[in-house]
Amino acid sequence: MSVLYAVLAASLFGCALYMILSRNVVRLLLGLSMLASAVNLMVFLAGHLRSVQPPLIPDGADTLRDSADPVPQALILTAIVIGFALTVVLAALSLRAYRAQGTLNTDELRSAEHLGNPVAGGADGDR
Amino acid sequence: MIAWLLAFALLGSCAAWPLSFLVGRRASGWLLALVPAALFVALLDFVPAIAAGRAITWRIAWAGSLGVDVALRLDGFSFLFALLITGIGALVVVYAGDYLSTESASSRARFFTLILLFMTAMLGAVLSDNLLVLFLFWEATSILSFLLIGFHADSPHARRAALMSLRVTAGGGLALLAAIILTGMSLGSYLLTDVIARADELSQSPWILPIVIGVLIGAFTKSAQFPFHFWLPNAMQAPTPASAYLHSATMVKLGIYLLARFEPVIGAVPRGRDTLVAFALATMLVAAFQALRAENFKTVLAYSTVASLGILVMLVGLDGPMATVAMVGFVLAHALYKATLFFCAGSVLHATGLSKLRAMGGLVRFLPVTAVAAALASLSMAGLPPFVGFISKEFLFEAQIQSSWNAVPTAVAVLVNAVLVAVAGVVTLRPFFLGRGKVKSVHHGETPGLLVGPVVLSLLGLLLSLEPDWITASVLRPAIMAVYGTDVVVELPSLRHGVTQTLVLSAVVVGIGALILRFWRPIHTHLRSRTVVDRYDTEHAYEFLTRIGRRAAAFTARAVQHRDLRRYLWVVVAACMTFVIWGHVASGRLPRLPATVTGWRIGPAAVALIGIGGAFAAVRTRTLVSTMVAVGLTGFVAALTFMMNGAPDLALTQFAVESLVVVLLTVVLLVLPLQAPSTRTRRERTVDAGLAGAFALVMLVVLVDMSTTSRPALVSDFFAANSLVSAFGRNVVNVILVDFRGFDTLGETTVIALASILAWSLLGPRTSHAKGAAVARGRTIFILVMTSRIFFWLLAGLSVLILLRGHNEIGGGFVGGLTAALAFALISLADGTDRARAMLRLHPLSLAGGGLLLSIASGLPGLFLHGDFLRHLWFELDVFGIPIKQGTTLLFDLGVYLVVLGAVLAFLFGLRREAGR
Repeated sequence: MSVLYAVLAASLFGCALYMILSRNVVRLLLGLSMLASAVNLMVFLAGHLRSVQPPLIPDGADTLRDSADPVPQALILTAIVIGFALTVVLAALSLRAYRAQGTLNTDELRSAEHLGNPVAGGADGDR
Repeated sequence: MIAWLLAFALLGSCAAWPLSFLVGRRASGWLLALVPAALFVALLDFVPAIAAGRAITWRIAWAGSLGVDVALRLDGFSFLFALLITGIGALVVVYAGDYLSTESASSRARFFTLILLFMTAMLGAVLSDNLLVLFLFWEATSILSFLLIGFHADSPHARRAALMSLRVTAGGGLALLAAIILTGMSLGSYLLTDVIARADELSQSPWILPIVIGVLIGAFTKSAQFPFHFWLPNAMQAPTPASAYLHSATMVKLGIYLLARFEPVIGAVPRGRDTLVAFALATMLVAAFQALRAENFKTVLAYSTVASLGILVMLVGLDGPMATVAMVGFVLAHALYKATLFFCAGSVLHATGLSKLRAMGGLVRFLPVTAVAAALASLSMAGLPPFVGFISKEFLFEAQIQSSWNAVPTAVAVLVNAVLVAVAGVVTLRPFFLGRGKVKSVHHGETPGLLVGPVVLSLLGLLLSLEPDWITASVLRPAIMAVYGTDVVVELPSLRHGVTQTLVLSAVVVGIGALILRFWRPIHTHLRSRTVVDRYDTEHAYEFLTRIGRRAAAFTARAVQHRDLRRYLWVVVAACMTFVIWGHVASGRLPRLPATVTGWRIGPAAVALIGIGGAFAAVRTRTLVSTMVAVGLTGFVAALTFMMNGAPDLALTQFAVESLVVVLLTVVLLVLPLQAPSTRTRRERTVDAGLAGAFALVMLVVLVDMSTTSRPALVSDFFAANSLVSAFGRNVVNVILVDFRGFDTLGETTVIALASILAWSLLGPRTSHAKGAAVARGRTIFILVMTSRIFFWLLAGLSVLILLRGHNEIGGGFVGGLTAALAFALISLADGTDRARAMLRLHPLSLAGGGLLLSIASGLPGLFLHGDFLRHLWFELDVFGIPIKQGTTLLFDLGVYLVVLGAVLAFLFGLRREAGR
């Protein structure tokens, strides 16, 4: 079963990378969102699918036995929320960029570079 | 005890800023001079111990695992430097108070802070017994020197000089650091005392050559030796009090200090002493030559300082006890007269606004006391009896005669000292006494602050020579002993001894000096007209290297920073893949495959296949909406996978997130063009697909290999065993998040809060959301509007339940916050953003900020009661007879809940506002 999950995660990795290489900003951010899922799955697989029991200590017991590994789950839980925040911030940036520049193409989003070289005329430009 | 001196110095430097604002323009220098003066007086307390030949030590562990202690040590040599640093420091601060009276209050405050910080760093450098600590203070003096030279930062000359000095001295500092680390590797100790005691052992080290070279480069750059001498004349861009203090009396002698300390090591290396003497002689000749050519008052003094530093290096290089005696004596004598001359030069500069020596004349009319001080200092510099300079020059020649060297150093020393005699005459006679009437008026006369420094130091140059007993017994002899290792009995030279060899040499020096002085003007103009000399100045080498460095930087920037996002990604991904493959090949084993194929389940397998299909669909689709749906599909597949493999917490979180992503991205996609034709050429697509395929293949191999290993589960077992027993929670995932790894979670919560602030500030103006809401309302669906209230309260109640039960059942702050956000998203979709905001009442960012504060506050009780931040406390409440066990973990989780809710709502409201614009 873990082999099939490995194929799933690897497909997500590959497709996500292909989308990230696109010049369309929205495809890029959707690709990043998919990459986050792929990484989460990878961390999950690192915990080994040893049980389908959730890591809850049953009533009457003091310790956890025979359940899924809680450590990867704790790592992934925050990663999901942070990945979500990243996606939304990127979406906000894309929206603003489109409003300001009228394009979603990364090659055309160049306004920062038109401001000129930040170093010229600075600390060492005294001759 | 001596650590308190450093602490006091640092405290005084920090207090300088506010104090100089508080007290007036006139008094600030006098008040702040109390800091170095108090240190000077405190140091005098050590005189009995130092005179008895003892050293005062202090030590505290710093980085024990690296064998680095902060070890301080005050012996005779450090004591001499410490007295110079604090004593001259006090006079410099007084002088600066008046010298900078025309500057703005804030720039005077800056100067005082920098100069006192410099004093602290300098004291630290001479007090450190640990070489690494010494290095830290050493570099601090370089940086403070940089800041002081560039004090008038609006002047391009000052900026250039400041950068030059920083590059040279800090660059040399790096060589010194390498030498220090190699020393530590060779000896297993970083203590300066160990270096001196085990010099022979160190000289047998295989690293001895790089060690000595590193020390030499460090010392030569700091003490302005040829070929690094050029930064010092340029450093005269600094305000004169800084020049007097850093660039003549103290900092430039730090290199001498280091060389003197390393003398046993350098002496044990073949040709070590010869190297020192050779560089010193070159420095002396070049500096003497340039001193005759220089035009500016301060530049002449700077070159004479370089020449004096060369003499000091030569004395370190010469063998025999007299060389050490002469070196110690010259450090003191030079500090006294050169600082005086700098003070006088500063007063002239300040009073006349002139900097060229030839333009000055007859200033004794306006600055009589300064003129007298300059005359006294010059007589000492010329080495005439009965001044301190005479004694130190006698010792210099004595040392040369007694050393095993031939006559070359003596000849050079005679010549260079003759030039110094001439320079001493020129800098006093020309501006003050000759050329009467050249200067008609001055901006102001002498003020007490401008006089104290030169008068005290020039008189000391006379007094210490007439009454030498105290200073010899309590400072100089212990200093000589600290450097030379054994006590040296010294008889002071005197005219009563009749005509000795050294006296003859002194007379020759004065004679040649008088001749040069007489014909200074023709010599000066003649040498000045020979501009060919400038072409061979080492400053050009510096300029050349700087240019090369700049070009290399520009080339690298052009090559690496090509402004193409796709190429950046290509490089990153390809490099990552290479490292992974390389690592696997280097491990020398084949990727493993699982031995048995077990645990196949139909349902999960079907879900996984759907996910693979979704991934490929996302790549193939050409409109952004369908891409989003396909990506969402993979997200839901991930959630289902979590669900079916014992991770319901993750599944809930992922489901909530996927729903919210749909709501939020739809808002964005309403504005953006939905058709997304391919932005890549066919060729680019093929190449990208190749890279993506290779990447997927590598990941597949890694993942399959990873799933076959048997895994040590120490961490998981710890959490499994302790979750309930120690942290009173049955949901182990939640316990890890809020308790065991609470600090980590706090950091991640902070990231989410910051992301919400970022998105909020990016998105749209504050005023236009009324219009956006109207647009949104016009498109809503009747049935959604009617049922949204019911669902809102259901979801809101559910979110609170998820939060409360989280510690023992499925749930927690993250999922709870996302669920609550879904409730508001529903209202926003049905009734518009305004309605949702009205129901929330609070600003979403206040919610996020408040939540963050609550999370932090939940860790404070543990901090105050047990000294551990985020150590959660538990208590039992009796509510209507039912015992409820609760802890500060709930507050923490509530904080997380509020941050997530506030952040998502900030995203939602911000995006809708921007979209409705």
